[in-house]
Amino acid sequence: MRFKDGITEQNVVVKCGSDFMLPFALMFGFMVIFFGTTSPGGGFQGGVMVASAVLLVYLGYGREAAQSVISSEFIRVNEAVGAIIYVALAMCGIFAGGMFCENVFFRLFNIGDPLSAGTITFMSYAVGYKVLTGVGFLLLLLVGLLALDTQEEVDA
Amino acid sequence: MIKKYLSIFACLLVLAFGCWAMAYAYFEVPMTYDGSDVDVTELYKDPSSYDINDPDGVADIIVKTDLEQTRAQNVVAAVVFDYRGFDTIGESFILLAAIAGAFVILHGAVKKGKEAEKE
Repeated sequence: MRFKDGITEQNVVVKCGSDFMLPFALMFGFMVIFFGTTSPGGGFQGGVMVASAVLLVYLGYGREAAQSVISSEFIRVNEAVGAIIYVALAMCGIFAGGMFCENVFFRLFNIGDPLSAGTITFMSYAVGYKVLTGVGFLLLLLVGLLALDTQEEVDA
Repeated sequence: MIKKYLSIFACLLVLAFGCWAMAYAYFEVPMTYDGSDVDVTELYKDPSSYDINDPDGVADIIVKTDLEQTRAQNVVAAVVFDYRGFDTIGESFILLAAIAGAFVILHGAVKKGKEAEKE
């Protein structure tokens, strides 16, 4: 395949490597998000791990493929959705008769269950969603900037 | 003309209500949270009881009472999302603002590159 990048053709080794690593990177990132309260990790770290999938797609298939596969409009909007979900979860403490950011329903499960931490778990998920969309959008934006450099080289 | 007076009146109303709310919050709002039953607050009130020989004074308390108070096995997640949940709101909104700023600055350049590509 030919792309209009600085490098006209992607190496087969790089392409196969990105194909091979992409599912593992996504699985590991989502595992860090979903088991953030019972094992090391959390929303921020897992979100950045999942967002690095953008760079893997870029390395394997070039800039245009990364921009066409991932919708930048969708992730730009959904970052704000994640922030709103976090604030709504923090307001749960007020609606339950406590303080802002109070942990509400954490006595329903035994210690060690994924949901045993109550609101903390869902706050972690919300922050993970927010960070993966936000950092993914930032990486996509920076990848899009590479078009300028190649264009100037072609002109010059 | 009426519109101008109406807007002045609305501004004055907002100002008066704000002043009243500030005074009310300062003098009459009942204390809903005085920090009782929290070990960290008692330490803060009485610093002489602080155990200097123990290097992790407050951290030790948080680690020991974490499972009863939050039932989260990961203490870091408990601190970030429960003990310091308000701090995390600020962090996530800082990220939102930073990415919005980067988008505003870089959007024109990216658009220009796409247009140059089409030509």
